[in-house]
Amino acid sequence: MNSQIQQITKTEWEIPIGFVPGMRVPGRFFLSENLAENIEDGALTQLANVATLPGIIRYSFGMPDIHWGYGFPIGGVAAFNAETGIISPGGVGFDINCGVRMITTPLHISDIPDMKGLIENLFDSVPTGVGSKSPLRLSQSNLSLMLEEGAKNAVDMGYGMESDIRRCEENGAMKGALPEHVSKKARQRGIPQCGTLGSGNHFLEVQVIDNIMDASAAKTFGVSEGQICVMIHCGSRGLGHQVCTDHLQILESATKKYGIELPDRQLACAPLSSPEGEAYFGAMAASANYAWANRQIITHIVRELFTKKFGISYEDMPLIYDVAHNVAKWEEHDVDGSRQTVCVHRKGATRAFGPGRVEIPQEYRACGQPVLIPGSMGTPSYLLAGTQGAMEKTFGSTCHGSGRVQSRSSAKRSQTGEEVAEALLKRGIIVRAPNPAAIAEEAPEVYKSSSEVVQTVHDAGISRIVARLRPLGVIKG
Amino acid sequence: MVFEELEHTADVRMRISAPDLPSLFSESGFALAKTLYGPYHFETPAYSFPIEAEGKDPEELMVNFLSELLFLFETEYLVPQKITISIDSSVSGTVEGVLFDRAKHAGGIGVKGISYSGMSLAKTDTGYELIIIFDI
Repeated sequence: MNSQIQQITKTEWEIPIGFVPGMRVPGRFFLSENLAENIEDGALTQLANVATLPGIIRYSFGMPDIHWGYGFPIGGVAAFNAETGIISPGGVGFDINCGVRMITTPLHISDIPDMKGLIENLFDSVPTGVGSKSPLRLSQSNLSLMLEEGAKNAVDMGYGMESDIRRCEENGAMKGALPEHVSKKARQRGIPQCGTLGSGNHFLEVQVIDNIMDASAAKTFGVSEGQICVMIHCGSRGLGHQVCTDHLQILESATKKYGIELPDRQLACAPLSSPEGEAYFGAMAASANYAWANRQIITHIVRELFTKKFGISYEDMPLIYDVAHNVAKWEEHDVDGSRQTVCVHRKGATRAFGPGRVEIPQEYRACGQPVLIPGSMGTPSYLLAGTQGAMEKTFGSTCHGSGRVQSRSSAKRSQTGEEVAEALLKRGIIVRAPNPAAIAEEAPEVYKSSSEVVQTVHDAGISRIVARLRPLGVIKG
Repeated sequence: MVFEELEHTADVRMRISAPDLPSLFSESGFALAKTLYGPYHFETPAYSFPIEAEGKDPEELMVNFLSELLFLFETEYLVPQKITISIDSSVSGTVEGVLFDRAKHAGGIGVKGISYSGMSLAKTDTGYELIIIFDI
């Protein structure tokens, strides 16, 4: 650990002003003492760089899955003042509204004697990996509607149930989407990729709930031990990636125009109230809406397959929740004793609103927002609940996953994909991917322990553990 | 080897070397393609597409050129075999290739974008060297 870092509590650390020139606020990150030993200097510098941005409020935050990204670190959270603050694509990421959702089923392990067959069926049904094509033929006008309406648009087209919509963060559609700021190129990338999983760390996993830690919250969320669930992790595909690329270029000029000094070109930004900032926000919101529709369509494919294969009803596979990982949003928070509307950037972080917030679906509101934290292929995923502690400490934010610790190239050197798949099979986990390298690069060992990351956010009081989910089978892009 | 993968925790970080700028650009294009598609053998190109990019400095020119290529790969399902370009204040040329075939080209990983973070494009004793991160 760098000697300038100060430990505040058992799980909280501070990067003092002055760590890099121009910091306006300190950095704060959450890590167990064990995880803190391995924090990368690159991630610390990036966290400090974010603290130099105009209008940043209180701290530049790092969640326990923090690692070296570009612009913001992955696991970075920062809130900006509406009048003096900025918006930056580097604080959202290329994959706008990359996120996770989970559906439950009425099945138990004993109902799925042929897990390998199920995983093969899922791999064949859900378009996965580089070069995969959309199961839809979207028109330009369809796409425009999708960019405005998000999950609702997919449900209206027959991909889901009405009840899915309100179980998505933002009800599956951010307000303020401006499809006119989504370029022709972004549209061209979005049309053939709608309803596809993508690649990299994106996955679709069949899991079983193997431990309930908070019985009352589990009951509220409608999950019980032994239940088979499906978790889906993907985002806005080429459409969102292109929006990020396009607007980075626009915002790079805007940074100079508004006289903003930056320590890293990838932090290109513009004042929230500027035309460039508003255009990016509108295009980002439209991309986020596309991502909700994308996850909704994939969910539909899964439900159809389960209905056909297991004879269960579509309605018996409710969506528990859908969270966004990469997004900037207007939210109300208490700042210095007053209620303010601020722009919260979460890059590889999850909203974790505590009990009582109106944004949480009514049936969950007293309990706090459901938070879904995916593990890696071999490690458990978790269902958590948002807390008042998150509202007070982190602008209602928590971690988003385990966080990588090993590079892709070194992962490939240490084990082949076949070896990783074989080792997982011995533990009862079936993996299917388009190529062995995709498995090697995502081996469980390359991530921090999901259990340790989740325990850290629990101990820090920024969310609380409700249930653990063990992986049974996974498809990777 | 004209390009090699360097350590990076989450993304793909590449070092690409070439004797002159046009070959640095085309080799960087192949580095991107091999990230996406995995190693693949040369085939006689069946399709040809024009490519153009602009930029205020060499770094921006490179990011924009690679972003254009990525767009072409994703929307045309093109696997490049030959990249012919000329460079002055902008880049222009052609990309020739074959169509994506899952049996031959599914060895890679999707690239979301070309990052400026940690990027360097420098003149060396033997030509040019680029270090760049592909976000995946």
